[in-house]
Amino acid sequence: MSEVVLKMHNIIKDFPGVRALNNVNFEARSGELLALMGENGAGKSTLMKVLSGVWPYPTYEGDIYIKGDRKRFANTKEAEDAGIAIIYQELNLIPGLTVAENIFLDRQFVDRFGKIDWQRTYSEAQKLLDDLGITDFKPTDMVQNITVGKQQMVEIAKALSINAEILVLDEPTSALTDKEVKDLFRIIRKLKNDNVCMCYISHKMEEIEQIADRVVVLRDGQTIGDVTPIGDITLDQIIVRMVGRDIKDMFPKKQMERGAASLEVKNLSVSNPDVPGTYKVKNASFTAYKGEILGISGLMGAGRTELVEGIFGAYPQQSTGEVLLNGVKLDIKSPKDAIDSGIALLTEDRKALGLFLNESISFNTTISSLETVSSKILGIINESKERQIVGEYVRQLGVKTPSIDTLIGTLSGGNQQKVVLGKWLNSKPEVFILDEPTRGIDIGAKVEIYKLLNYLVDQGVTVIMISSELPEILGMCDRILVLCDGVIVSDFERNKAKKETIMAYATGSAKGRAK
Amino acid sequence: MTDESNSASLTQPGASLGGGGSTGKENHILSFIKDNATLIALFALVIAFSFADDAFFTARNLSNLSRQVTIIGIIAVGMTMVILIAGIDLSVGSVVGLSAVVCTLLLQAGLSVWVAIPLTLLIVGGGIGLWNGYWVAKFNIPPFIITLGMLTIARGLALTLSGGSAIPVTDSVFPIFGGAYIPPMASGVVLGVFVILSVFSVFRQVQQNRQYGIAVNKRELITNALVLIGGFALAFYVFTGYRGIPMPVAIFAFIAFAGVYILNNTRFGRRLYALGGNEDAARLSGINVFKTKMTVYTTISVLAALSGILLASRLNGASPNLGIMFELDAIAAVVIGGTSLAGGSGRVGGTVIGALLIGVLNNGMSLLGVVTFYQLIIKGLIIILAVWFDVIQKRK
Ligand SMILES: Nc1ncnc2c1ncn2[C@@H]1O[C@H](COP(=O)(O)OP(=O)(O)OP(=O)(O)O)[C@@H](O)[C@H]1O
Ligand SMILES: [Mg+2]
Repeated sequence: MSEVVLKMHNIIKDFPGVRALNNVNFEARSGELLALMGENGAGKSTLMKVLSGVWPYPTYEGDIYIKGDRKRFANTKEAEDAGIAIIYQELNLIPGLTVAENIFLDRQFVDRFGKIDWQRTYSEAQKLLDDLGITDFKPTDMVQNITVGKQQMVEIAKALSINAEILVLDEPTSALTDKEVKDLFRIIRKLKNDNVCMCYISHKMEEIEQIADRVVVLRDGQTIGDVTPIGDITLDQIIVRMVGRDIKDMFPKKQMERGAASLEVKNLSVSNPDVPGTYKVKNASFTAYKGEILGISGLMGAGRTELVEGIFGAYPQQSTGEVLLNGVKLDIKSPKDAIDSGIALLTEDRKALGLFLNESISFNTTISSLETVSSKILGIINESKERQIVGEYVRQLGVKTPSIDTLIGTLSGGNQQKVVLGKWLNSKPEVFILDEPTRGIDIGAKVEIYKLLNYLVDQGVTVIMISSELPEILGMCDRILVLCDGVIVSDFERNKAKKETIMAYATGSAKGRAK
Repeated sequence: MTDESNSASLTQPGASLGGGGSTGKENHILSFIKDNATLIALFALVIAFSFADDAFFTARNLSNLSRQVTIIGIIAVGMTMVILIAGIDLSVGSVVGLSAVVCTLLLQAGLSVWVAIPLTLLIVGGGIGLWNGYWVAKFNIPPFIITLGMLTIARGLALTLSGGSAIPVTDSVFPIFGGAYIPPMASGVVLGVFVILSVFSVFRQVQQNRQYGIAVNKRELITNALVLIGGFALAFYVFTGYRGIPMPVAIFAFIAFAGVYILNNTRFGRRLYALGGNEDAARLSGINVFKTKMTVYTTISVLAALSGILLASRLNGASPNLGIMFELDAIAAVVIGGTSLAGGSGRVGGTVIGALLIGVLNNGMSLLGVVTFYQLIIKGLIIILAVWFDVIQKRK
């Protein structure tokens, strides 16, 4: 059996009002991938931040042992020197620099005069990429010109360049395409062979099955059960450890009568400002009905986000076409117009487009519907009404937080998402468009969100959901549009849709518009 | 998706700074000083100047000081809003000059004060504000550039309209706005009413917090109470002891209170924080970014125009050179008051303290006979120090 390289012992970490970690114990071995599982807010990211020196000693209690030596990191640099690298889900690369420059960011090779030795920088970077078997981009490529998946590889190369023996990956696949995930897994397998110890956080159960060697579960800041080899535990048992109960029905789909046409989109095009004459979305036409959930599927970059943002009035200058609601043509020139007409859009990029990180949960919940908590004329905010409404959403959606005055930036990713959901629910939309609503959300919360969608449909809300996860699309949607290169290539009824056919259309290998 | 990197950076102690202070064993006094640094600095300055010169802590001097503060203070309230939405307005000093010139010219032309003042606010304040706002909001041109341009344009207009020379005022009503006092008796009553109102509002706040189950922060409460009591005691001493509340001080107080109220309690205020915090998210949350920016830039110009009018009224005339460099003092007041130049966070209350700090510094140093050249250097250093302190404190 391989050597134990990492041991975290009785780790306790407090934040004002929350104990994020409460006596966490686990160990990891070289050459293995240890999956760290748990609900949103369970403390996974916090644990990894303790490990990597983001939270230095003594802001936590307990001990960290690396290869048997107790370590107390004062900062991330010391952790790096001890061979620990962490890759955050939000990548930390500098877009305007090359791949090689990013890899050796603060450790450039310089000659006697302090001038950067480009030759060496590029050749060392190339060596790292070769080691990883990466051939589809070069050290001289600009980071901003390569896809997110490849940027992730750059992060890994960077981690290897410091000779990391312990590599932490916090939800690395949530923004990757299927192919990129495959590439990542290939590299992960290679790293296992090279005896690197990896701690891997993900909410995607099927990934765990594929690449984890052992798994450890956190719940409310505590380790539940021991570190368990993946062969000795079923996914269902992991889920029970995570949420404390069985989840019987992952997709609690309720069949409903299709109602009247609600949102009609006719010939919507969104031009691509970077390349004049080309389009991100071309002549999209579809109808969403009351009483059903309309799914939009497709590969990353197929134009799904641009399609719904186009409907929402996010690009008034670039989009053409018609949007009708209940048969009435809407004149949407801005998101405000869309919201006023009863459309809500939960954006895919939560951090950049959905959140006010320095503000409270309360602020974030009411910002798009301030009218509901303020006087008509002078716009004076009724604080007690606001607290009551926000408190209600926090309770309903199960947001894990000490108070509604907590800054949203301190919440775990999944809990932030719940607040954004609350924000749009409070605008009482007639059409609710959700772009990747369950990204980064734990299993239990996913089911809650599905139930919420059912409830909304039941209430007469038209729901449109974009998702990259086919099981979710197949499990929850009544009808499925598939986008490929900005064109709606097919339109499936739920019972006629299959994973393979959807993939075939999404990748462009099947053509024509199926009905 | 998790927002690891950012949630880390929000509260993450700078890597090299070592331990963060969430253990609860922190030194209370130290954290008190950190939370109220500007206020303490103000307090310390007042005490230092009082010891250094007997003439400083007199009702007469402090009354003058308060009046001096108002001109910058009024602009700084508007500047808080502009900086809150991550903007800047460099043209305010020139707007002060232009509005003083326009208003006095209108009076010379025989218009009554009641026409001349609103007209100036409308034409100079409204006009320039809308112009600035339109360029910024419609074409996304950096406000630094647009208002820098306006800084020169408005000054040029003031010089052109006045022919480069001072304009006297003969109107008998006009000097009241900048020069008159609310009689001491009435001032006492006004202050008394305010005391009752603020006691009431603090009381209500505490009660509400208890109702909402928010832990009442005792230290903050005591600080607030002390500041209120001290502030009112001082105000009583100064304004009943020397001729009453100066008119411009009353106007400034009104504007400051309105500013605090608007930012804390209205939809408009919320939108400013949202816009400054994350403009894209604000737009996608249905905020009318164009309208909000237009309103903010118009507000600050109108406030600057008002300042110009009050200044002309006090001086009983205008010169085209009024208000030069006021933009810098106003920005300094805002920044010393803790508003972030990056937008999204800040308070008018802090700005008022910042303005007072600058006022005390100016006044005290002049009393002590510090050479003007040195005054400039010291003021600059203080600004840098204040911002530095703010930065390291936020990083903790
Ligand atoms: N900087 C912080 N300040 C205050 N509280 C924090 C901070 N960071 C995390 N927390 C709290 O600690 C708890 C654990 O959060 P953490 O981010 O570790 O969860 P997680 O398991 O990574 O969840 P997710 O799956 O949603 O990413 C949460 O209750 C969170 O609100
Ligand atoms: Mg996390």
